[in-house]
Amino acid sequence: MRPENIVKENTEARKIQLENFLKANGLGDIQPEDAVKMAFMSEYETLSPSAKRGYVNAKQFFNAYNMNTQGEHEYYHVAWRSLFVPTEIMYAMNIIPYTTEMVASQLAMSGASSERIETAEASNFSGDLCSFMKTVAGGVIENIFPTPDILLTSTHICDPSAKYAEIASHLYKRPEFVLDIPYGIYDLYRNIKDKSDEDRIEEAVQYVTEQFYEMIEFVTQNTGLKLDKEKLKQICKWTNEARKYLDEGNNIILYERTSSKKGIKELDYAANLMQTWGTEEIVDVYKSRYEDYKKNQHEQREITVPRIAWFHLRPYFKNQLMSYLDEKIEISGSQVNFVFFDELDPEDPVRSIARRTVMHPAYSSVMARTSIAIEKIPKDTSGIIAYYPKSCRHFHGGAIMENEMFKKSGIPILTIDGDCVDDRGDDFPIVKTRVDRFLKSISK
Amino acid sequence: MKKTGWFCTYTPVELIHAANSIPYGIRSDSKAEHEDVLLGDSMCSYVRSCMGGALTNSYDDLTGVVIAHSCECMRRLSDGWMFRQEQIKPKLIHILDIPKIVSESSIKFFAGALKRLKKDLEKEYGPISEENILESIEKYKITRNLFSQIEEMRKKTDTPITGIEVESLLNDYFAMPVEVFNEKLKKFIESKKDLKSDANKPRIMIAGGPGNKSLIKTIEESGALCVAENMCTGSRAFAGDYSDETDPFQLLARLYLEKTPCPRMLGDKSRHKTDELPKMINEYKIDGIIYFSMKFCANMQMDWALLKNHTNIDIPMKVIEGDISSEINEREIYSFIKRLKKRKKKNAS
Repeated sequence: MRPENIVKENTEARKIQLENFLKANGLGDIQPEDAVKMAFMSEYETLSPSAKRGYVNAKQFFNAYNMNTQGEHEYYHVAWRSLFVPTEIMYAMNIIPYTTEMVASQLAMSGASSERIETAEASNFSGDLCSFMKTVAGGVIENIFPTPDILLTSTHICDPSAKYAEIASHLYKRPEFVLDIPYGIYDLYRNIKDKSDEDRIEEAVQYVTEQFYEMIEFVTQNTGLKLDKEKLKQICKWTNEARKYLDEGNNIILYERTSSKKGIKELDYAANLMQTWGTEEIVDVYKSRYEDYKKNQHEQREITVPRIAWFHLRPYFKNQLMSYLDEKIEISGSQVNFVFFDELDPEDPVRSIARRTVMHPAYSSVMARTSIAIEKIPKDTSGIIAYYPKSCRHFHGGAIMENEMFKKSGIPILTIDGDCVDDRGDDFPIVKTRVDRFLKSISK
Repeated sequence: MKKTGWFCTYTPVELIHAANSIPYGIRSDSKAEHEDVLLGDSMCSYVRSCMGGALTNSYDDLTGVVIAHSCECMRRLSDGWMFRQEQIKPKLIHILDIPKIVSESSIKFFAGALKRLKKDLEKEYGPISEENILESIEKYKITRNLFSQIEEMRKKTDTPITGIEVESLLNDYFAMPVEVFNEKLKKFIESKKDLKSDANKPRIMIAGGPGNKSLIKTIEESGALCVAENMCTGSRAFAGDYSDETDPFQLLARLYLEKTPCPRMLGDKSRHKTDELPKMINEYKIDGIIYFSMKFCANMQMDWALLKNHTNIDIPMKVIEGDISSEINEREIYSFIKRLKKRKKKNAS
C-alpha cells in the first residue's frame, strides 16, 4: 500500500481505536480529547522524576492515536515495536515507537488486562503463552490499539513477541521488518579465547549494522520518512547523557544511601526496556532522578529493613504484594535499570547502536547474565527477589540455575513464580508466606 | 565410529558426517522428562526430555552434541547442558546460532557460524577438508532425492505408503549412518512401486510437531491415512533446494535457511508459509489438518493462532495441544476422522 493511503486509513482507524481503548478501560463516557487533557493536567516541570517518566510515556501513547498533549488531532507515524528494537533510529526518522509489552502493562495497571487475555484465549491463543502477548492479542482482536504504519520487530530475547508481530502484520495489513540478532555474542565477549572469537563479534556487529541500514530503507520505502543524520547524532548524545544520569543514580542507591523514597517507582523506570531512549525528555527524567537521590544522599544512614535487589519486573495489576514489600524492604536496585552498555558514538551512530544491540547481556546464557549481576550487586545487599512470570521461558526457565549460582556466591535469592499482567492466579497469602520466610532467613 | 548428537533439523548434519562422525538425531525418547531438575515447568517437553536424558546418562555413547539456537527453550537446554557439563558425558558442546530470517546477509552470517562449527568439530575429530564436506553433501543429496520420491508417491490418491511407515523411516534416519539409510530408502521405494491402497480413507496432514509417538498411530487406527507431516520430524527434515553456490558453507547455509520454514522462522520466509500451505493441501489432496501444538512452545502456539484466525484454509483443522508423551485422546481423533469421512463421502457424491 502506498504511504499516503496508509496515512488515510490510519487516520480514520485510530479515532475508533482510541474510543475503543477508553471503553475497554471503563472511560467510554469521556470524549477522547478530554481524556487526553486530563492525562496532562499537571505542568511537566512540577512533576516528580517518576511522574515525568509517566508523562513522557503517556504523551507518546496518545501521539500514537494521533493526539497531541492538548487533545488536538495530529498525524504521527507509528511503528509497532517489539522490546529491544533500538528506538534512536526511529526518532531520527520521526517515528513514534509503540511497544506492545508496555501497553499490556498499562492495561494491567488499569485492571483491563485479564479481559483481553480471555478474548485471546477464546480466539485460539494457547493458555500457556506469555500473558503480555495474550493481552496484546486480545487488544488487537478488540481493535483498541492504533493501527501502525509499519512493524519493526526483533528476535531479541522473547519468541512470542516477535511471533505475535507477524500475526499483527497480517491482521493490520502493514509491512513488517524483522531484525535478526545473533545470540550469545555477549558470552563470547566475556570469554574471548582467540582472534576468531573477536572476528565473530565483529561479524555480528556488521550483520546487525547492515540490517539497520536495510531497516532505514524499509522505513523510507513504506512511510516516505527519511533518516535525519544530524538528528541521529544529537539523539545519540541524549542517549549518552541519559545513560550517564541513570548510571549515577543507580550508583547512589546501589553503593551509597539515599533517603528518597524509591519502592515500586524505582522498578517502573524499567530503563532497559523503555522506548524513550534517544528523546530529550528522558535525559531530564534520569537527571531529575539522580538529583533527587543525590540531594537526599546519606552515606551512613542506618537501614532497618533488608536491602533487596529486585530482578525482572513486578505485577502491574492491583495487588497487595508490592505495597506489603514496600514496608518490609528497601529496594537497593533493579536489574532492569542496570546500565550494561557503553556510550554510543555519535560519529558512527548506526554501528554503535548495532554493537549495543548484539552485546545485550540478557540475550546470553543464564550463566553470563547471572555472573554480571553477581559482580554488580554490592556486598551489603541482603538478598535478591526475582519476580518471574511463569510463562516466561527466558527468565523463569533459567531460574533454577540462577538460584544455584547466587547461592554459591552467598547471595540469598527468592524467586516468586507470578505473572506481571494476568491477575487470575494471584494468590497473595501464599506468596506472603514465602516472602516472610525469606525475609526471616536473611535477617539471621 | 563416534557419534555426534543434534537436536534441530536446521543443523547441517553434512558437517558432522564430513568429520567422520555419525550424526545422531536426538529424539523425544529419553523417557526422562521428569529427571529434568534444572529448567523448570515452563519448558517444552522435548527440551525436558533432552535435559533429563543428559542428566541420566541417555547420551553417554555420544562424543559431543550440536545444540542449535532454534528457540528460547533450546537456549535454556544449552544453558543446562553447560551448567551441568561435569555430570554429562559428551564433552564436545557446540552452540549453533541459526538466523530466524532469510536474506543474503543472514545466509552469509549463518555460513560464518558453520565455519565455526567445522572448527569445533575438527578439535575432536581432526581436519575436515572441503572435499570431505562436498562428499557428505552429495550423500545427503541422495537422501533428499529419495525422500522426495517417497513424497511424490504419497501425493497419489491410492498411495501404498502409510504415515506409520514414514515415521519409522524417520526414526531410522535420526539414528543410522546415511549410507545405510539411503540403501534402506531405495529398498522401501522398490517394495512399494506396484502397490496401491484404499483411496477412500481421509487424507491427513499433520502440522506442528515434533510429534507425540501415539499421534500417527491413533490417526491411522481411526481409519485415516497420514500423507504429509509438515513438521520437523516429518518432511521438513528433507526439505530444501540445492543452489549453485560454490562455497560449501554458503551452499549449506542457503539450503537449510531457505527450506520449508519451522514456526521459529520470521520475516518473509515465515509469511510465505501461509501461501505454501494451501499449495501443499492441494498437491497432497488433504482432507483435514491435525495441528499438534506442543505445550510451552510459543512459536507453534502462535503459528496455530495465525493459521486458524488469519488464513483461508477451507478444510477442517483440529488442534491437539499436548506433550511428547501425553496421552492422545482417541475419541477426539476418532470423531474428527469420522467427520472427515462423512465430508469426503459427501464431496465424492
